Amino acid sequence: MASAKTIALFPEASYGAALNCVGIAQELRRMGHRPVFVCHPGFGGVFSEYGFPEYPLADAEAGRPTDWNDFIERHQDAFRQSPLDQIESYVEPTWEAIVDTAMRVEEPLRQLLARLKPDAVVLDNVVMFPAVANAGAPWVRVVSCAETEIPDADVPPYLSGCGMDERECWPAFAARYEKAVAPAHRRFAAFLAECGVKAPAAPNFLDPSPWLNLLLAPEIIRHARRRPLDPEKFVFLDGCVRSEAPYTPPRFASHNDAPLVLTSFGSLGAMDVEMTKRMIAVFARLPCRFLVNAGHWREDYREVPDNVFIDSWFPQPSVVEQADLFIHHGGNNSFCEALYYGVPSLIMPYCWDGHDNAVRADETGVGRRLDRYGWSEAELEGAIRALLGDVAMRQRLKANAEKMRKAAGVTRAAEEIVKVAAGALSAVRAS
Amino acid sequence: MTVEPRRINHRHVELAQKILDVAGERGLSRGERLAEQALASLCNVSRTPIRKALQVLAERALVTADADGGYLLAVDPVATARLEDTPDGRGEGEIHAAILRDLAAGRIAEAQTVAALQRRYEASRQAVQNALMKLAEDNLAERGAGQQWLLKQFAIGGDAAAKSYEFRLATEPLALTMPDFRRDVPALTALRQSMLILSGMDERDFDRKLFDRTDYDFHLTIARGCGNPFMAEALVNHHRRRRASPPAGHVNAFRLMQSNLEHLQILEQIERGQMELAADLMRVHIQLSQSQRPRLAGRGVPPAFKLVSR
Repeated sequence: MASAKTIALFPEASYGAALNCVGIAQELRRMGHRPVFVCHPGFGGVFSEYGFPEYPLADAEAGRPTDWNDFIERHQDAFRQSPLDQIESYVEPTWEAIVDTAMRVEEPLRQLLARLKPDAVVLDNVVMFPAVANAGAPWVRVVSCAETEIPDADVPPYLSGCGMDERECWPAFAARYEKAVAPAHRRFAAFLAECGVKAPAAPNFLDPSPWLNLLLAPEIIRHARRRPLDPEKFVFLDGCVRSEAPYTPPRFASHNDAPLVLTSFGSLGAMDVEMTKRMIAVFARLPCRFLVNAGHWREDYREVPDNVFIDSWFPQPSVVEQADLFIHHGGNNSFCEALYYGVPSLIMPYCWDGHDNAVRADETGVGRRLDRYGWSEAELEGAIRALLGDVAMRQRLKANAEKMRKAAGVTRAAEEIVKVAAGALSAVRAS
Repeated sequence: MTVEPRRINHRHVELAQKILDVAGERGLSRGERLAEQALASLCNVSRTPIRKALQVLAERALVTADADGGYLLAVDPVATARLEDTPDGRGEGEIHAAILRDLAAGRIAEAQTVAALQRRYEASRQAVQNALMKLAEDNLAERGAGQQWLLKQFAIGGDAAAKSYEFRLATEPLALTMPDFRRDVPALTALRQSMLILSGMDERDFDRKLFDRTDYDFHLTIARGCGNPFMAEALVNHHRRRRASPPAGHVNAFRLMQSNLEHLQILEQIERGQMELAADLMRVHIQLSQSQRPRLAGRGVPPAFKLVSR
């Protein structure tokens, strides 16, 4: 093997991106390289559990007192809105927060990368960090969000939740989005200019990497682009799933031989306990076993039905592998894991690219979209029963899963990253 | 849920486990003969329960009948996971497990009566009473007023794992530095063999059940050896309760492999008599075992909201 490379992985502070990078890092480690994680403030502890070195970035603002209840109430209201209305209530403030974070971590990130001297930086984020661009090493972009994050004239606008047959809605969404995020983008562009880095054209906050871009979207849900992506710079991984501890489903008080359904809306989506309780009331009368990820709010559930098991964390890939149905929020990692194991998705989105994935699941016949709040008990029950009973969909998903497993996304990602890291080394030597 | 009484009860399973422990500590390996009389005196019981326990082991193919009568070991005892109480899902052990599962899952309340549990599990009065007695032995239930039993939800609820680590961090290093600490050399030797077997495994084939047994036996050996009966009682009770409870959270194989290496390091210092060093390593081991993962995170969520579970 060529000399071991130090690869600094810098995922955004969300579980989807973080755990996606864990899969790539596991493969890099198996290949004999040295993956290390750069962590956003407050996001330590995730990677060390998988045995990787963690380098948290300092943040002077991290200790500030915050109003937790206000945060929940504000976001719960926003999560009930349409993607169009969320532009002002959720997307724009989120971009402001992301830009704030990027500015605050710039100096500690610059110092850290100077100390680590990585052979390559893997950026799994939605925003550019000047320190990454100026690190003196090539950087690789991982597109952990839906494929819509890389725009194209024939791809619906990012975060719009628009379908392919709703082209008439695309321009209105794109215009409103661009207008809403313009102040955040201006602030961001000025910051990049100060650091000597060219800003991406509005409304984008991150350009493709000139070295390598890795996309998760498997072929079965991919869009036909008007301008195809350069295969030298854009590699589709057909999924990128980490290896997790094997999971033995708990013994339920009833229905132990019935189909297994996993419900998880991510750590943020778990905050709506009342909505999850409504769902559990429907689960109670169905002949299935339900695993429900309640995140931080596990203790809020009492009188749990016999066919329901609630926990605050599941080793998701190992559970999805055994599941017959996955009810989720359309997070790209969750969606890809469902596809990787050939499991239909019932997507109940509440924000960001969850809307895009929900529509895409419907369009491509790999699952269904259900409004997160506007459902009746009969509709939820009907959707679950229909997906569990759709033999044709299941067969198609299983055949696709086989294809995805053969594509070995994590191995491909690791190999491509190492190629980039090795190329940089020769360039330095040559100069 | 219908539960039928069985003649083999959890005490026979416990004794069967003890036979395997004794075999491991005495260095017995696959193919060696298990003498009933010797086992009876080593386990401080008569030959009748030993015979029952050997039947339990034979049912699970861990011993084989010898042509000359008696039994031979069919496995290497230090490489064998702890016996499950009722692998076939029947018997009082199953009611015991079902009560704990339902309590942890929030399906049943803390205050219960035998009659209510009989109705829920469709079991005999005797079977439910036995299950409650076993829960009481593990400090997971106690008699309440009148006909009531109080199940200890705090011991298996969401915060139990964090509180348990807090308790262990305060007590286990201290146990190692008690003035009358005594090394149980045969037990430590058997444990070392199990730990070495585990350290030869990789992430994909890591034997979690063997790890669970080694982990429990290692911490229990320290508790029993501390030389202070009050400390020993508190820690043994805690470990028993920990073992009886449904597993909290999910730990990936990499962490368990690290944990096994930490056990080995502590064990080596105990063998060398370096008890302060062993205590320091125990402190580090318990702290590393606590999950530091944020409970909530999301795109644009301020760091202050990323609650950390401990």
